[in-house]
Amino acid sequence: MSNSKIKKQMQTSNEIVRFENIEKTYYLGKLEVPVLKGIDLVFKKGEFIGIMGASGSGKSTLLNVLGLLDVPTAGKYFLLNQEVENFSDNHMAELRNSSIGFIFQSFNLFPHLTVEQNIEVPMVYSEIPKKKRRKRARELADRVGLGHRLTHRPTELSGGECQRIAIARALSNNPSFLLADEPTGNLDEKTSHEILDILHDLHQNKETTIVMITHDPEVECIFDRIFHLRDGIIDKRTEAGGEKC
Amino acid sequence: MLISDLFRLSFHNLLLHKIRSLLTSLGIIFGVGSVIAMLAISEGAKKQALDQIAEMGIDKIIVFTQKPSLVGESQNTTQSALLTYGLTEQNENHLREFDNISDITTLRHARKVITRGTTRLDLKLVSTTLNFLDETKCQLVEGRWLSPIDMANKSLVCVVGRNVKRKLFRLGKGSLIGQKIPIQGAVFEIVGIIENNIGTQFPDLNSPNDMILIPTTTSNAIFSYCGIDYSGGGRFGDLFHVEYDIMLVKVTDVAYIEHTAERINSYLLKNHKKSKDWGIKVPLELLQQQEHTQNIFTIVMGSIASISLIVGGIGIMNIMLANVYERRKEIGTRRALGAKKNDILRQFLIETIFLTAQGGMIGIVLGISLSKIVTYYAQWPVVFSPWSIILSIMISGIVGVVFGTYPAWKAAQQNPIDALRTE
Repeated sequence: MSNSKIKKQMQTSNEIVRFENIEKTYYLGKLEVPVLKGIDLVFKKGEFIGIMGASGSGKSTLLNVLGLLDVPTAGKYFLLNQEVENFSDNHMAELRNSSIGFIFQSFNLFPHLTVEQNIEVPMVYSEIPKKKRRKRARELADRVGLGHRLTHRPTELSGGECQRIAIARALSNNPSFLLADEPTGNLDEKTSHEILDILHDLHQNKETTIVMITHDPEVECIFDRIFHLRDGIIDKRTEAGGEKC
Repeated sequence: MLISDLFRLSFHNLLLHKIRSLLTSLGIIFGVGSVIAMLAISEGAKKQALDQIAEMGIDKIIVFTQKPSLVGESQNTTQSALLTYGLTEQNENHLREFDNISDITTLRHARKVITRGTTRLDLKLVSTTLNFLDETKCQLVEGRWLSPIDMANKSLVCVVGRNVKRKLFRLGKGSLIGQKIPIQGAVFEIVGIIENNIGTQFPDLNSPNDMILIPTTTSNAIFSYCGIDYSGGGRFGDLFHVEYDIMLVKVTDVAYIEHTAERINSYLLKNHKKSKDWGIKVPLELLQQQEHTQNIFTIVMGSIASISLIVGGIGIMNIMLANVYERRKEIGTRRALGAKKNDILRQFLIETIFLTAQGGMIGIVLGISLSKIVTYYAQWPVVFSPWSIILSIMISGIVGVVFGTYPAWKAAQQNPIDALRTE
């Protein structure tokens, strides 16, 4: 199935992700380390999902499996009714490129590239011509409020600005969902709020599904649903508008 | 990923670490440099060797006298006897009748000891015909060449090679013309100086630069054909009789030169039944042999230099492997953002090829400068063939592919999660 077809399907179908009893076990020599022990979940289009849990509870592994960076040991992962098990390595790379946007805790920007070039990277892999790329990168930089910093390098930017660039980069190919791994983990409170505001704005458009790992119980209110992970299983599911909000 | 982006990215990455890139490709730089220099020098040597032979004339057959080996005869019985051997005037006259032979230049070594004080010099007193100057491509640098009048009058004149002045009149500063050389009772007046710049070497007689040339007629009149050779080790030397030492046979049609040589050979075989006291050299054949030998030499030189290219390649592979390890996070991020394994592989491979290619280009410049330096200081001729440059670029490209593939493959195989986890 072609990429655009999947993307179209993703946009028309309401269900983006379905996990059926997903397990992930790492093998350290002879030692088996089960990290995910049977996860069932469904994400729908436009949802803002929070994933919370202590260190080592399997949050990052869950995100890696979601982001097609890792394959589950057992269980079924449907990305728009397509079972991921059947995807080739190249196909997964194409999907990561076109349908998934990654936001990392440590930004993972390329220090030797300018802001503009950093935003362009995913578009380079989807072979978008240079002029078109440049135009799109400028739009996105404007959108995260850094249109005036296009020719700067990440080392000349603050942490908050870096993360905004990373968000712009994640959005460059109009992904169906964003995966954010503790995007505010390295930031102070004020800049954290700025980042969350950007994500919240995206959520308001109801176009993109956002999955975000966080440690911060204060931000619970912005999520539609929260999954609490504990020892590789979903311990608790919270719907939007909990008692705190 | 578009090819243009791939090239831009790889180029960008190399420029990030200019010094490192330069140091990494140092092995290739020296490898290519030595290949270029070695090939240029050996090509130069080849050209020089071939020129020498070609200048001797590819339209010539050299027939020369060689002392027969005394196998089967007792040394004692011949010790005091007169040894008669070698090419004769009769041979010359017969050969002149042959088809395809247009001219014959003859040389005879008078076998006189030439001394300065009590020192024996390695100069040769040679009697020759008038066409010697043209046929051996020697140049007159001072004075005149032997004239027909000298021939007719059997004049006591000589033309000397350019080394004679240094060897015989070491301290003399003035012109040699008009100076006298006494040789065994006869005194020869120097009328001209010749030089031979192409390194002609005659069998037994060596270079014309070390010769004292006198007219044949003079030689015949005052010296007999007999000479004494002390090289045999005998107390009194061997007394022998040789008419001609060398006949330079010029052919009319070079296409049949081998055939003519063959006929001279069979004629001499019949005429000199007693012993094999002659030899034949065909410069054309020598030329072909020499070319072959020099080609082997070139290949050997090139191969030795290529080893340094391989060493350079291994160096690059080493650095690139370290580079892959160092850039795991970048690889992981790129993979997360949608790079396929193939994109990563190509990126690293092209980086390596760029490294080797830039090394190759700097190496070419280095190689050319090295050869120029060699030419300048050692006076060796060097020849740059375009193919040695094309070859170097190709080899450095191939080295890039060969030694870049493994690190690039290694990079592509990085697990994106592990790669992302590294800080």
